[in-house]
Amino acid sequence: MTYLAQVINSTIREITPILLVALCAGVCSKVQVFNIALEGTLLMSAFFAFLTHYFLHNIFLSVAAAMLVAMGMTLIMSTFIVRLKGQPMIVGMALNTFARGFTTFLLSVIFKTKGAVNPSDLKGLTKFDLPLIKRIPFLSTVFGALTVIDYLAFALAIVMFVIMYRTVIGFRLRALGINRAAAGSLGINVARYQILATTLSGSMIGLAGCLLSLGRNAMFIQDISGARGYVALAANNLCKGHPLGAMISSALFGFTTALARSLQGTAIRQQLLQCIPYIATIAAMAFYNAYARSKARRKNRSL
Amino acid sequence: MVFEMRHITKTYDSVVANDDVSLHLNRGEILSIVGENGAGKSTIMKILYGLERPDSGEIIVDGKPCRFRDPSDAMAAGIGMVQQHFMLFEDMTVAENIVFRNELRRGPFMDMNRTVETVRQISERYELKIDPLARIADCPVGLRQRVEILKILYQNAGIIIFDEPSAVLTPLEVDALLETIRGLAKAGKSIVLITHKLQEVMAVSDRVYVMRQGKVVAERLAGETDIGELAVLMVGHPLAHYQIDPPKTGATLLETRDLRLVENGREVLSDVSLHVNAGEIVGIAGVSGNGQSELIRCITGLEKVTGGRVLVCGKDMANRSVREIRDAGLAHISEDRYVWGSAPAGTLEENTLMARQDETPYSSRGVMHPRAIREYALRLIRDFNVKASSPAQKMSELSGGNAQKLIVAREMSLDTPVLICCEPTRGIDVGAMEAIHSRLLQRRSSGAAILLVSSELTEIMSLSDRIYVIFEGRIVGEFERGSMDDKHLGLLMVGGSIADGQ
Amino acid sequence: MDNERNWRRTLLGVVDTVTQPLIAVLISFLLGAVVILVIGKNPLLAYGEMIRGAFGKQVYLMNTLKRATPIIMGGLAVCVAWRSGYEAMGGEGQMILGAMAAALVGYYLPAPGWLRIPVALLAAAAAGALYSMLSGWLFERFDVTFIISTLMLNYIANYFAAYLCNYPLRDPEANVYQMQNAQTGKLPAEVTLPPVMKGWVHWGFVLALIAVLVTWFLFKKTSFGYKSRMGGLNPRFALYGGINARAMLYLVMILSGVMAGLGGAFETLGSKGRYVDQMIFSTGYAWTGMVAALLANMNPVGTLLASVLLAGLAVGGSTMMLNMDIPLEVCNIIEGIITLFMSARMIRIAAGNMKRRKQAKGGGKA
Repeated sequence: MTYLAQVINSTIREITPILLVALCAGVCSKVQVFNIALEGTLLMSAFFAFLTHYFLHNIFLSVAAAMLVAMGMTLIMSTFIVRLKGQPMIVGMALNTFARGFTTFLLSVIFKTKGAVNPSDLKGLTKFDLPLIKRIPFLSTVFGALTVIDYLAFALAIVMFVIMYRTVIGFRLRALGINRAAAGSLGINVARYQILATTLSGSMIGLAGCLLSLGRNAMFIQDISGARGYVALAANNLCKGHPLGAMISSALFGFTTALARSLQGTAIRQQLLQCIPYIATIAAMAFYNAYARSKARRKNRSL
Repeated sequence: MVFEMRHITKTYDSVVANDDVSLHLNRGEILSIVGENGAGKSTIMKILYGLERPDSGEIIVDGKPCRFRDPSDAMAAGIGMVQQHFMLFEDMTVAENIVFRNELRRGPFMDMNRTVETVRQISERYELKIDPLARIADCPVGLRQRVEILKILYQNAGIIIFDEPSAVLTPLEVDALLETIRGLAKAGKSIVLITHKLQEVMAVSDRVYVMRQGKVVAERLAGETDIGELAVLMVGHPLAHYQIDPPKTGATLLETRDLRLVENGREVLSDVSLHVNAGEIVGIAGVSGNGQSELIRCITGLEKVTGGRVLVCGKDMANRSVREIRDAGLAHISEDRYVWGSAPAGTLEENTLMARQDETPYSSRGVMHPRAIREYALRLIRDFNVKASSPAQKMSELSGGNAQKLIVAREMSLDTPVLICCEPTRGIDVGAMEAIHSRLLQRRSSGAAILLVSSELTEIMSLSDRIYVIFEGRIVGEFERGSMDDKHLGLLMVGGSIADGQ
Repeated sequence: MDNERNWRRTLLGVVDTVTQPLIAVLISFLLGAVVILVIGKNPLLAYGEMIRGAFGKQVYLMNTLKRATPIIMGGLAVCVAWRSGYEAMGGEGQMILGAMAAALVGYYLPAPGWLRIPVALLAAAAAGALYSMLSGWLFERFDVTFIISTLMLNYIANYFAAYLCNYPLRDPEANVYQMQNAQTGKLPAEVTLPPVMKGWVHWGFVLALIAVLVTWFLFKKTSFGYKSRMGGLNPRFALYGGINARAMLYLVMILSGVMAGLGGAFETLGSKGRYVDQMIFSTGYAWTGMVAALLANMNPVGTLLASVLLAGLAVGGSTMMLNMDIPLEVCNIIEGIITLFMSARMIRIAAGNMKRRKQAKGGGKA
């Protein structure tokens, strides 16, 4: 029973960073800016959250720094794609290469290491215990040691849904993503909207970065993002950019990762377990598309 | 006078699109601007709507000189435009499309109730019926145009420009549109109608400008002119009439039997049976979107058929690969020259080689022979009078007419018994059009079986020996040359019957 | 008028192909210099050290060429796929499996040494091709986009190879201190690719040169090259002209996978002499190859040159690190910035802006 609660707890913690990044990816895909710099952005913001915390010992400033860095990366990404007509794939890969180099560079300059930094005197994000649930045995483990940002992630998914599907600004963003020329012909500055929207949504990657480097204890490992940016891209692909759908598709990936972790120490070797989330990603996409195809085919045959 | 344009000149690279054009529009008036494709009528309206900037000249709206940087400036000055290609958001509702950029809000939120109500009110006031909650993707073309008009009315524009509004409509929808235009003028709107269809011009307009080669060549009051005079003014010389010999038909070279196609749960083609004999041109008349494109894609192997047979030179080629169908003796001038018919970023050589890349002398055992390829490209360019500087030039650098000529050249030079020819003259100038038509007639007299699809009824009527009428994926009529006038044909094209017309 | 336009077009073309990489390189080195300055070192000395360490002596140059070998192959893999319109990034996974396959065959195949090398190369090519076809199949059969499938497959390949060399294929002799990464058994000397001459780079580099020529020939001189290019420029046009898209997809995927797989084999047989955990992943050979292909605008010969330069950047970077205590990752930073600035069609856009400004002025005067 406790074991199950622990698995659920670790699933939740795997979900939230992916969800936050997927929400940003959702905005990007809605406004037709193809963003695969997610991975590098996540890595950079995780690093700067840690760095700020390391030097200033201030959790708020760390979160702010991570959000700013993430927005900066996203701004560069969208400016190169929208204004300078860079090919999205290449812009994204360039930023990912840069992020990998830059974080490792600073890691070795500042901490004289290329592996992990795990200062024992630094605390991570404040844990937030729900007052009532704290006393219920099973649920207290399920919701144990979650940070404000973990809760915020789910709240943000709902907020993003409201913004994108209920407000004027969200309406405009979705519309210009459907037909850029039409929006332009009505006097909307499409490029400005695209850049602003992506940049602001980039702040959510900053939050995800905080979860990675400050979620449990404060620590940073080279390549801490571990392809979560790409997984979030796949999650967003699966839910077609819908913020509420992103909760479900991120949950799928969060669960497989947690599953892989919970199976550690069994007969299956760790390296093989680590493949599971990636295989699950491909399988989920393949199954989803095969299902959509067969549905269309059935519809044709029934006629 | 609601607006005036004085001495507008606009050049693209070396082409003069507008040469010292001056025109004006009076309040409540319906003004038509007629001219052939490329006469500069769309350019002058794009300048008025802020989509293009003039090299010189001035625009005066309501007595004030204006300079429009983009359409929003023009809109602010009360000018709206129904463009040829609709500017709509497919995945959204009619109401959402209409209010875009001038949304009705409640705080930061969309006020959907008020939006729907307002849209309904406008649609009732101008008698343009629509369902505000329908999705654009589910709306037929006529309804989409109505949405475009409502969009402009919602923005309260006093001047409405229509750019070739009837090009995509069925004859019945055209009638409704003309009625709408009259109603708008009566309601105090000033209208500019850009078209090359003279019947419509005579039906609604008060005044007409005729443009040719970038210049205004004439201005007439509608009451003081007629179609004949306008036609001559437009073309600059009396209209050419093709001298067409009676066909010498031979064996059936192309045939479809009970062709069926189901797409996304919708039957797009139902039991289409037709045949084309050697030495004749067979036209398919129909309003675009009634299955013509799909029919051609099924015949040419670009789409898998659901049922039925396609016989090319007697062999059943249904659901075979494009390669096999082409090898069976079929060439295909596609409906859209940049989407299907060419690689715009490729060179002319690469574009002329297509479909022959595995033939000698252009390649042997997979290795290509550049000299033969270049000579072939040069030959096509020369034979079909394509204006190009070098075979290594990019396709996208050619003008529309020349690109089309090159595609026609490529497919005709394959010298196949069957030629499929879709929209061979869409959007190109008269010179190129006449050249392509005479080539088609040449192929006909040399015994090819030609299937012609065109949304220009006049093109179908003047070239075809036989005409099939297609409506909602069915063949609803078949006629010999001269046994049918365009009025009856038009009725059939929209699902009427011959009895209705009598 | 026409002549002048032609001339201008050619000039713009030349400016576009040559100036763009130069500007990108310049900007990235400038920004790199800023980074070096910030950590209190002299960028001129650092770059001098870098160039000397990459090309200064025969040994250094040979080191650079050795490092360039897998990069060239990774670049060719990208050239082949991207030119045909398939933006696959699976070179890394294919290279890993190629490297592993070569190590396996080289070590375990019960055959004389001279036979094991060609069989190992074949096995590597096959491994790369099959893995590449897998992403092609996922695309064709299930519409899984190349970006997602190839990125995921890269990670899967790396973990799978890590499993193999950590457990079933681990060399018990090596790695006594648990400090290094796990590795497979050391290949006997006769199963490794020997140097071309004493003190020269191994034969893998020569094979990579041949691969460049073969790719160039395929692109420029064969109908396969024509078909794949047309498919890349406009897939509908290729379909319309009767080119079999499915066959082209798999052919292209196979060829691309063969290139990447061989790249991995060259690294195993020519350089490491075994499979070492993370040997492809951590060095980023495939990514650097992609950058090279991009710098060269998918031209195979250009990819070769760019690969050597980028390999020089990394090799020279290690010298710089040793002699001046500047972290090697400056090179990754520079590489990232080069790629970023190569992605943008800056020159075209600048020219377009200038033209528009001129037009606006013209309109204003009247």
